[in-house]
Amino acid sequence: MSFTQIARQCSRFAAALSTARLASSSLVGQTQTRMMHRIVMPAMISSQKFHVRQYSAKSTIEDIKFRVLKVVSAYDKQSRCGWQMRKYSAKPPLSLKLINERVLLVLKLYDKIDPSKLNVESHFINDLGLDSLDHVEVIMAMEDEFGFEIPDSDAEKLLKPADIIKYVADKEDVYE
Amino acid sequence: MSTRRQALTLYRNLLRESAKLPSYNFRMYAARKIRDTFRANKTINNFEEIDRQMATGKDNLELIRRQVIIGHLYTTDKLVIEHKKKLKPSDD
Repeated sequence: MSFTQIARQCSRFAAALSTARLASSSLVGQTQTRMMHRIVMPAMISSQKFHVRQYSAKSTIEDIKFRVLKVVSAYDKQSRCGWQMRKYSAKPPLSLKLINERVLLVLKLYDKIDPSKLNVESHFINDLGLDSLDHVEVIMAMEDEFGFEIPDSDAEKLLKPADIIKYVADKEDVYE
Repeated sequence: MSTRRQALTLYRNLLRESAKLPSYNFRMYAARKIRDTFRANKTINNFEEIDRQMATGKDNLELIRRQVIIGHLYTTDKLVIEHKKKLKPSDD
């Protein structure tokens, strides 16, 4: 339901309420004065089974507080469960140490690399025994990890973890 | 004649395109098939045979590109195994 629909229904309800109040006052007015009616009305409402919501200016601060807090708490519950929220934060800041850790983690998780042999200075093809197809896969894993594309001409030169770390640091403008 | 560099570029393009397939089964099958086929054919010495395999690879790259578009026109819900568990603050 849109806000305009809600507003329209509220105004319709308010109009219905005012006509009802007029009718009741004219009924009561026959036997009692206007002042008497005002005194009697609260007692009548409390004696009735159903609760009538009052929209007059006479509601106390506590009433208003209670009503507002009820609405706010209901909204909070709705917004906490399920609604998607957009977040506008930037990427977490990278440091050389963090890049180093992430590169080595990705390489350790690659099944054809022996984690015990892995070193920052170990050559992918000579030391770690990968072929050129595995090298392509490693570079693609790095692209997924850091979220940018590495062109083929650059990918050929990245033959050691240290080269990758340096390349990523250059791309992300990370210096010592 | 195809060079080593062309073969690697084709391999890379095939893997990247196959990752875009929306259907989990097709995506996994394509990645597995590409990887296995390149591994199986990496020792071919005959140039004609290499060219033939490269042509097949290029045809398949086009096929995958078409299938990506068609797959996005008729998407279905993700499989249960594809949903990653969302981390809550209480999961620390």
